[in-house]
Amino acid sequence: MVDFMKRALELASEALSAQEVPVGCVFVINSEIIAESRNIVNATHNPTRHAEINCIDSVIEHCKTNDIDYMSYFKNVTVYVTVEPCIMCAAALSNLMVKEVVYGCANDRFGGKTVLDISNFYEYNYNLVGNLMANEAMALLKQFYKGANPNAPESKVKKDKTLTIN
Amino acid sequence: MTEVKEPPTKKAKMAETTTLENFIENIKNSKKNLMAILSDEFTKPTQFTQVYVGTVNNVQELSKIITTLNDKMPLKELQHLKRARKNEVILCSVQYLNTQPQNSIQEYIEENVYELKDAFKYFKVTGLPAMPPKLKKQQQEFSRVWSCNFHPNAYLEKLYGDQFFSINELMEHRCYMAIAFEIANYYLSKLKSNLLVSDVSESSLNATVVVDPTIKSIVAISYDNRENHPTQHSAMLAIDNVAKTQNGGAWNTADKSAIDNELQSHIQKKFVNVKFGARNYLTKEVLDEQKKNASESPYLCTGYYIYLIREPCVMCSMGLVHARANRVFFCFNNNLKGALSSKTKLHCVPSLNHHFEVFTDFL
Repeated sequence: MVDFMKRALELASEALSAQEVPVGCVFVINSEIIAESRNIVNATHNPTRHAEINCIDSVIEHCKTNDIDYMSYFKNVTVYVTVEPCIMCAAALSNLMVKEVVYGCANDRFGGKTVLDISNFYEYNYNLVGNLMANEAMALLKQFYKGANPNAPESKVKKDKTLTIN
Repeated sequence: MTEVKEPPTKKAKMAETTTLENFIENIKNSKKNLMAILSDEFTKPTQFTQVYVGTVNNVQELSKIITTLNDKMPLKELQHLKRARKNEVILCSVQYLNTQPQNSIQEYIEENVYELKDAFKYFKVTGLPAMPPKLKKQQQEFSRVWSCNFHPNAYLEKLYGDQFFSINELMEHRCYMAIAFEIANYYLSKLKSNLLVSDVSESSLNATVVVDPTIKSIVAISYDNRENHPTQHSAMLAIDNVAKTQNGGAWNTADKSAIDNELQSHIQKKFVNVKFGARNYLTKEVLDEQKKNASESPYLCTGYYIYLIREPCVMCSMGLVHARANRVFFCFNNNLKGALSSKTKLHCVPSLNHHFEVFTDFL
């Protein structure tokens, strides 16, 4: 388990270097990584391109090329993601009925459990496990939020703050 | 227009057998205003909380008693309530005493505000509104029970009412919603002739139109691809299509642009006055170079209106939150999966960093 989360953390660091929100994710079947990705929101200008959504895409791609029924394939997937999946990703993973989701730190901005428990809206709920190497995951996020999101327009509040600092 | 006046049963019956073409005409031409989907604070019946109220012995001492109480037994979560009404004063929430069940309210006062131990003639427990009133209607209802602090908000009053959009605005919204249905009509008619409303309403397929209201132009359109790809619901595709207008995009869908050319000319034939295209996207470098404000370039779906045939699911609704959509319009409720009315009201979750307005009631 720890090894998979370590790989997810590596991907998150890679995201940080690329000035993306540092979240990394690996999909695992039978102790084997079948997909891995990180946030590419700023590169794609698409705010839904979270690590999990990218992994889903590569699994779909793999299933299409190899003529595999993706619904039965996803049933065996364990997701390792450095930050608790957001409401959108949690909904997507619920729809696909993945077996389990293991996350690092909680997501108190967007979390699909912490902010809005989406398991209330779905008949199927994957097994959710949190707090695996949470400190490492959180440290990366803190590093990112120290700098500014390069794509977001500067907020008035932030401008005011910098003014007072200067 | 005539349908609006018909009884609901007849309307529902008619809807099933109406041809899709006629239905689209109705969506477009009806003068019925839209309704905002507001949070439960506006729509649910008033929640009451049990509080102790004391009747004072001497009304002349009322203001002194209130000052002392505010100092030593502040109202905390009941700040929206005026402390006194006539000769009655709110003491505290019943919960405060539950932690020490042996105490009576008289003993509680003696412990906390000894100087008021003889101030009250008698006590009662009464239910008072737990939350501040947001609307005049609520304030009037509350005031029958107790006086509340109330700051009327003209925008909220209008949003709650049934005359929110002017007739011109309404016709624009209805036109874009009709186009969302026209997208479904375009794709479905390739598979089947003589389409009925039920071909759309009873499927799970969705279509999306994204509009920049500042230039009254369609920025992106999309049609559901969930049958081939489980996350390619039309809202998710629309968000990616918007990204394509901003030097981005992740999905290599058949149409490399935000708007399929053939579909655009199909729509243009039926909706001759509709404009297509986004404002020019300016990179950070260009903005800096031309000393322009970031707001002069489109950013994700900021400011955009999103028109969907069906209430979006949890995934798509959260996608639209991430995309910072300004308003979301939908026609059909999605009872099993909908996240903006049916299962939850995602746009009303207070801790999220972005909130859009939601409108429905096209039928």
